[in-house]
Amino acid sequence: MSETVKRNNPLFWLIDPMRSTASQADPAYRYSWSQMAWMLPLAIGIAGLVVSAVGWATNSQQFYFSYLIGWAFCLALTVGAYFFVIIQHLTKARWSVVIRRIPETLIWSFPLLAVLGIPVLLGMHDLYHWTHHDLFDPTSENYDAVLAGKESYLNTPFFLARVAFYFIFWTFISFKLYTLSVRQDNDPDPAIPKLQRKYSAIGLGVGAIVVSFAAFDILMSLDPHWFSTIFGVYFFAGSFMSIMAVMILVSITLQKNGMLKNEIKLDHYQDLGKFLFAFTVFWAYIAFSQYMLIWYGNLPEETVWFRHRMEHGWEGYSAVLLLGHFILPFMLLIGRWGKRWLPYLGFMAIWMLTMQWFDMFWLIKPVMEAEHASLSLYDISSWFGLFGVFAAAFMYRFSRHALVPQRDPRLHKSLSFTNS
Amino acid sequence: MDKTLAHLADFHDEAPLVKGNLTFHDITEIVSSHTEKKTPLQWYGAFGLALSGLMLMIVMIAYLFWNGTGVWGLNNPVGWGFAIVNFVFWVGIGHAGTLISAILFLFRQQWRTAINRSAEAMTLFAVVCALVFPGIHVGRVWAAYWMLPIPNQMGMWPQFKSPLLWDVFAVSTYFTVSAAFWYVGLIPDLASLRDRATGLRRKVFGVLAMGWTGANRHWRNYEKAYLLLAALCTPLVLSVHSVVSFDFAVSIVPGWHTTIFPPYFVAGAIFSGFAMVITLMVVARKVYNVENIITIDHLEKMNIVILVTGSMVGFAYITEFFIAWYSGVQYEQYAFTNRMFGPYAWAYWTMMTCNLFFPQFFWIKKLRRSIPFMFAISIFVNVGMWFERFVITVVSLHRDYLPSAWDYYTPTWVDVLTFVGTFGLFFTLFLLFLRFLPMVAASEVKGVLPEADPHFYDHEGDGHGADHTLGVAKSKTAH
Repeated sequence: MSETVKRNNPLFWLIDPMRSTASQADPAYRYSWSQMAWMLPLAIGIAGLVVSAVGWATNSQQFYFSYLIGWAFCLALTVGAYFFVIIQHLTKARWSVVIRRIPETLIWSFPLLAVLGIPVLLGMHDLYHWTHHDLFDPTSENYDAVLAGKESYLNTPFFLARVAFYFIFWTFISFKLYTLSVRQDNDPDPAIPKLQRKYSAIGLGVGAIVVSFAAFDILMSLDPHWFSTIFGVYFFAGSFMSIMAVMILVSITLQKNGMLKNEIKLDHYQDLGKFLFAFTVFWAYIAFSQYMLIWYGNLPEETVWFRHRMEHGWEGYSAVLLLGHFILPFMLLIGRWGKRWLPYLGFMAIWMLTMQWFDMFWLIKPVMEAEHASLSLYDISSWFGLFGVFAAAFMYRFSRHALVPQRDPRLHKSLSFTNS
Repeated sequence: MDKTLAHLADFHDEAPLVKGNLTFHDITEIVSSHTEKKTPLQWYGAFGLALSGLMLMIVMIAYLFWNGTGVWGLNNPVGWGFAIVNFVFWVGIGHAGTLISAILFLFRQQWRTAINRSAEAMTLFAVVCALVFPGIHVGRVWAAYWMLPIPNQMGMWPQFKSPLLWDVFAVSTYFTVSAAFWYVGLIPDLASLRDRATGLRRKVFGVLAMGWTGANRHWRNYEKAYLLLAALCTPLVLSVHSVVSFDFAVSIVPGWHTTIFPPYFVAGAIFSGFAMVITLMVVARKVYNVENIITIDHLEKMNIVILVTGSMVGFAYITEFFIAWYSGVQYEQYAFTNRMFGPYAWAYWTMMTCNLFFPQFFWIKKLRRSIPFMFAISIFVNVGMWFERFVITVVSLHRDYLPSAWDYYTPTWVDVLTFVGTFGLFFTLFLLFLRFLPMVAASEVKGVLPEADPHFYDHEGDGHGADHTLGVAKSKTAH
């Protein structure tokens, strides 16, 4: 490790494990915007969380569900970034190098998300029905034979151990990928690309299972009777779609403020737009597979999950999801022109991020009140609160290093990339 | 900054796609000469063998038609046996060709040019083999056309809610679009063959090449059509095997009814297809002397695809198994215990070893670049993927909800020989393809040579012109 790149002190480790290397960045790749870029989201985030805190004091169950929705949204973005970075390394992708620092910076959100996840753990009794002990007690009137059969998996200590493992694993791989890349900015060690591929390969293989089980544990077990083998893939599909939207929005914001003006070209946006479109369709394919097979099989233990989302007002929300997450964006994103017209592409990116949040809402909220569809103020405040803090940490970290992996051996290919 | 860039431009991490310093003409020569020279004796030998296989299949089908499906090993709980297993097996094989030609094209993977032609041919022939089975398993073959929604005086329509009908649409669309894509890609090469030929051969290729002259306008239309067909084929890669998986997953048979089936079948299809491409290419590149075009790097990349898709299939096995337990549904749980320890445990463990265990050796670079090793693995994967369909189909059916109805399914000699015969059909078609058509997309391979860059000879003609002017030159054309 060269002299200029040192690890950060432990207190800031959560935000950035590296000391700032901004001063060593090539002037063209240096962050040149005001501190507002992270202060503003932080202020919004804190305000949102303060509002949510009121919710916690007055209606704690509502708060916990709202909080989980916002937290799952941030987790999905980070998981999407994680797979994006890994796939770029493994395929030796050339086009994406100029924008890769964005998801690379984003994956270091895992430790922060672990800390922000503490309220979820505190609210487990409200969130997760299977934490109620009397379900497993044959003498109790609440005894549930089906859930009792799952007790060896769905119990608090094992759940905590699993979630801890997921975060330790994600953090480990992300640490390697993030720090290797930042190190490379000033240390052209030819071994680095190889190491990046090595950790990416491990991160892909184990990561696929980890993400799938994380989705089972954190989201699917909210309705502990219900099961669907595709659920992990469903979570992944939305995650991978939303990271495209994030990269589009961050790139537009940077360029609006005078950074990377010549580096990120319409050609890059067009590819991001293609992926945004492709994974909108992929999400629909997965969602349809899940829905159609359960509808067709018509087994009550499976259909009940959709039943909850098809009555008492939830049917309207389901229709919005179908229209807003697939039908409209399919038509709006299919053309080439829309991917090369930035105001439009930016709008679609915000739309799709909103739909990703809405998807998390649709997965989580009906568990709380299947009988009464509602969108609470705290759902919104927790989303803005968590996403604000999350975005602030991201922007702050992003400002501390070169805006692109400036010594990546494929950078020049990315700079001269054209999209014919 | 310029200095940094110049320094970085020296970084070459990718080996050239075509080895042996071949020129444009060398490539035309290597690819075309095989279709022009006198048919070698070995080809007749191989073709004779394949043709006997095809004859065997025809005889078996004739025997089946004469006697009825009673000559198969089907019994009461196991109403779907070899026919559906072989159908899914062959349709799956086809998926590699479409992935290579469509999805890898959209992903700008230039290495695909060396293998796309033969992989697509493989797709078409595999689908032909697959289509044999729905045609013959209906029992009353004279009514096979009832599968199609044809207006008739009986006012009788197929069941539109049945995935078996969706299969008819999915597979026939797949065949049509793949054939169109394959043919469009062939046109420039057919024109090359025409230009090198005389007499009747010239006339035949002249008709097939549709008047291609290599004019600028021709290339423009060609590339537009190619891109559109690639975009149309991409959803087909996912949809066809998803629909095939619906055949199983919509019913409530334990082991069949699980939501991960569509993407899991797609991954398995690509996995088995790539294994078949390796099996074929390892032999063909040697016999047809195209080792400089289909290089060891190409084979290695395909082995990585096998590793990735094999692991995806493994991921699905683990997920299915876990959720069967987690569901708390005793029938699901039993279906999986029965797979592992029941009377068909041998089939299950064959599948697990071939699909999950063996491909993991491809983590080791040396092994995925070893020709004998990859050939062996590709055979194992082909076997494993056949057994996967056998396990899904037969093992789930042979013990259903009523223990009194349980039975053991054994294929008869007719089942086995029909399946063997489809390989005859497949290789007959494939050998004809190798004999008469260019097995490598020569025009596309030429396009990925460094010399194809219009600026290759700029900058003192040292071959580095393209690197230096790439950014400027291409950005002009983009607007």
